[in-house]
Amino acid sequence: MTQKEFPQFRREFFENGDAISVIGFGGIGGKASGLASIHTVIQNEIDKLKYPQIEVKIPKLTVIATDYFDSFMKRNDLWSFIENEFEDRRIIERFQNADLPVEILGDLRVLISKIHVPLAIRSSSSLEDQKDEPFAGIYATKMISNNQGDTDTRFQKLTEAIKFVYASTFLKPARDYLKATKHQVSEEEMAVIIQEVVGRRYTDSFYPAISGVARSYNHYAFGKWKPEDGVVNLALGLGKTIVDGELSWTYSPKYPRLSPPFASPQDLLKNTQLKYWAVNMEYHINYDPSKESEYLVMKDLEQAEYDGSIDYSASTFNSDSQRIVPGIGSDGPRIINFSYLLHLNEFRFNNLINEMISICETAVENPVEIEFAIDVDKSNKKLNFGFLQVRPMMVTEQTETLSNEELKSDSNVIASERVLGNAFIDNIKDVVFVKPDVFEAKYTPIIADEIDRINKVLSQNDIPYVLIGFGRWGSTDQWLGIPVDWGQIAGAKVIVEATRPGMDVELSQGSHFFHNLISFKVCYFSVHHSSDFKIDWKWLDEQEVINESKFVKHIKVSSPMKIIVDGKSRRGVIQR
Amino acid sequence: MISKDFNPFEMAQAQFDKVAEMLSLDEGTREILRNALREYQFSIPVHMDDGTVKVFRGFRVQHNDARGPSKGGIRFHPQETVDTVRALAMWMTWKCAVVGIPLGGGKGGVVCDPHNLSMREQEQICRGWVRQMTKNVGPLNDVPAPDVMTSAQHMLWMLDEYEAINGAKYPGFITGKPVGMGGSLGRTEATGYGVIFTVREALKELRIKPSETTASVQGFGNVAQYAIKLYNQMGGKVIAVSCWDQTDQISYTFKKESGIDLDELLKITDRFGGIDRAKAKELNYEILDGDAWIEQDVDILIPAALENQVRGDNASKISSKVKIIAEGANGPTTPEADKIIQEKGIFMIPDFLANAGGVTCSYFEQVQSNMNYFWEKDEVLSKLDVKMTSAFLAVSDLARKKKLYMRDAAYIISISRVAQACKDRGWV
Repeated sequence: MTQKEFPQFRREFFENGDAISVIGFGGIGGKASGLASIHTVIQNEIDKLKYPQIEVKIPKLTVIATDYFDSFMKRNDLWSFIENEFEDRRIIERFQNADLPVEILGDLRVLISKIHVPLAIRSSSSLEDQKDEPFAGIYATKMISNNQGDTDTRFQKLTEAIKFVYASTFLKPARDYLKATKHQVSEEEMAVIIQEVVGRRYTDSFYPAISGVARSYNHYAFGKWKPEDGVVNLALGLGKTIVDGELSWTYSPKYPRLSPPFASPQDLLKNTQLKYWAVNMEYHINYDPSKESEYLVMKDLEQAEYDGSIDYSASTFNSDSQRIVPGIGSDGPRIINFSYLLHLNEFRFNNLINEMISICETAVENPVEIEFAIDVDKSNKKLNFGFLQVRPMMVTEQTETLSNEELKSDSNVIASERVLGNAFIDNIKDVVFVKPDVFEAKYTPIIADEIDRINKVLSQNDIPYVLIGFGRWGSTDQWLGIPVDWGQIAGAKVIVEATRPGMDVELSQGSHFFHNLISFKVCYFSVHHSSDFKIDWKWLDEQEVINESKFVKHIKVSSPMKIIVDGKSRRGVIQR
Repeated sequence: MISKDFNPFEMAQAQFDKVAEMLSLDEGTREILRNALREYQFSIPVHMDDGTVKVFRGFRVQHNDARGPSKGGIRFHPQETVDTVRALAMWMTWKCAVVGIPLGGGKGGVVCDPHNLSMREQEQICRGWVRQMTKNVGPLNDVPAPDVMTSAQHMLWMLDEYEAINGAKYPGFITGKPVGMGGSLGRTEATGYGVIFTVREALKELRIKPSETTASVQGFGNVAQYAIKLYNQMGGKVIAVSCWDQTDQISYTFKKESGIDLDELLKITDRFGGIDRAKAKELNYEILDGDAWIEQDVDILIPAALENQVRGDNASKISSKVKIIAEGANGPTTPEADKIIQEKGIFMIPDFLANAGGVTCSYFEQVQSNMNYFWEKDEVLSKLDVKMTSAFLAVSDLARKKKLYMRDAAYIISISRVAQACKDRGWV
């Protein structure tokens, strides 16, 4: 569907009107275009009779077209302001004090006066249209509770959120990302989606019982799974859990009953989702319009059980039998493994997921990534399936081969049997690594800053490099890895995640990051300290030092390294 | 500007009578609504800068306050007459009623020409006006505002005098105050923006995109300037504006087929909205007769100057291309012209609906002042848009359903509301 086919927002018809409407005549950005094009496809292609207990729809949304972003920037003199590359806080503050274009204010007020459920204010940028460059997570999505009694307050919160999303176009992660992708900030035009959040209110929070991300292709395929089978992540609560790479349930849509390869039920218990994200519906919330998560709250699983929202997602570990039993009928630790939906195939849920992936692939003509959220209507035993996003997914097709000899070669600096990507690289001379002798988990935020500084210099000079660090890259929890965002390491061509005593964690599978790795053809090595293959730290230490800070060293080798990543066998080496 | 044989009050009464007939109003109601509830006429002596004393004639008419305190501007104009003020007060009653704000109608004026008065002399007139009227105006009974040739500065002098006399702070006494001194953000833009909100809705009904339209505007004061600004922002193109030339004492039309540049013209415009002719010529504007604005081949005409500008004698010159007339001024169209416009099938957005943005925002200012709590600009303008759009939709729905001329439909809504208020209070 092109922008022209979108119905314009009509305030007198809004309540009973179209599921998708637009304010303005400009572009609607990649995300909104994706939803608009898939809207009809979903309605026409999915056989409702096959899924009588599932209602699939795109949650009602209104798009503010890009022409108003342009007006907002020009009328408030923001283009010249952002040239200065101020700190994020200052940019947000300046945007919050700017005026939204007068033409949209009346429509926004009417919209907010008629909607009383939480809203997601999402970016939909013009560059997001491009298939080969994922802008996932680069710009902000702000959720607002929208539960205040008076329209004035709700209107104010809505305008703050819109300005925040506009500001996110120019915040550091976005600027770094645009630089890495050789775009100018001025190229970007932002549309904003105002969309109802899927879910229901439970006491003082609002969330979907299930959220998910389904992908056509699985670059993390292990065991019986195959890359082309695809992969699905499911979580309790808002999808932020999955997008941020926190603990969620991962399964192959071809083998829905097959659990991820946990070593034991205890291992599974350690790695099950114990916390979830929800929209905070409490009356008093700390006011901070500069914070993306102002209205979000992380809750413990016990709260969800009290809310009655885990009936379809939880199982219970029986310590006597050492078995995991679907449901929460007995006492014991809960495991969020969606066994009712996956093991028992209630609602024919997994069939729908498979069909959905297939339909979207045909429509987009590409492997896809789909985001969704589901509200469970227990009284009618029904799933309200909200389709949130579809975007094309980059998949490497050609493969490199790596022989056993090469894997065991003495000239290897790094070798691994858990590698992602597929490449032969022979133009990298730079390595940035976290110094193993001084590394401690408590210093990871400082390490992130140090890497950011080096990455900036290398990116500006177009120098590709190998990045080596400990724990999960991009972890939001500093104790589990180095808390960088993608922009801070975007110049790396090869990323190595290693463990060591004191940072022995399950390595990153952050869906967000991962999408970027694949799309930019960044290779990813996992090296466990107890595996057969080690990192040759001694050799790294002997190389010419270009830059050294307290925790990070940047070295340059005399001749380019040879990097081979075999996508099929998932093995890779970096050779001196 | 006002011809001697034109009596705006008679026109306002004629418009009222027509609708009273349509509504079958009883005699008592007609009588109370045909005339003002109260009228004040007084003298304002001023010590002039040259040492002489000059006495100026001041007026205040409170047409009807059944729905709330009277509300209306104070005009400084050399050709001011009590009948003009009466008509304008009546229109204020209808205007407040059509947008559904809890206020009645009033209007005031002083016969004077600010072009020939120093700021000190104008201040003395303002303070003198308040001294004469202080017992009969105030936040609870009559709230003045700026109008033709009065500004935020005049309002501040009036407020200061009122507070000095009454011994307390009453920011809700008057509206149109400067921002930061009890004024509301968005007030300056409100009337002009309001006109364009209604134009936008009319265009939606006619299924025309603003970006595919052109307009010609009479006047280049505050209302016209902000109307042009928002109209341009929505993609529309203004090809002609007319304005009064103080030196020549006639008006001229400034035309540019490719579209006038608002910022460029504002740089060569004086504080009364007069454009410098010589400089305009240098900027390649065609200089035409004052009446030429009405003859342009455009989609939208916006008379935003004074009363009695679209008359029986010039309405026939309106191009067949014109689809909408939005009355930014009060009473610019005579009943004779209305007939011609109606026959031409032009979509009329009547004055007391189109230019109600000013009083609506004044009401917002009054509310904020009375609370001494001030809103963000986004909030003010969004509320304004919603009020204006809702009012427009109510009028156009009625016009469509009952096959009425837009002005009649607007009058029916307003007069019914005020008549009902008078009945509910037991006045009639």
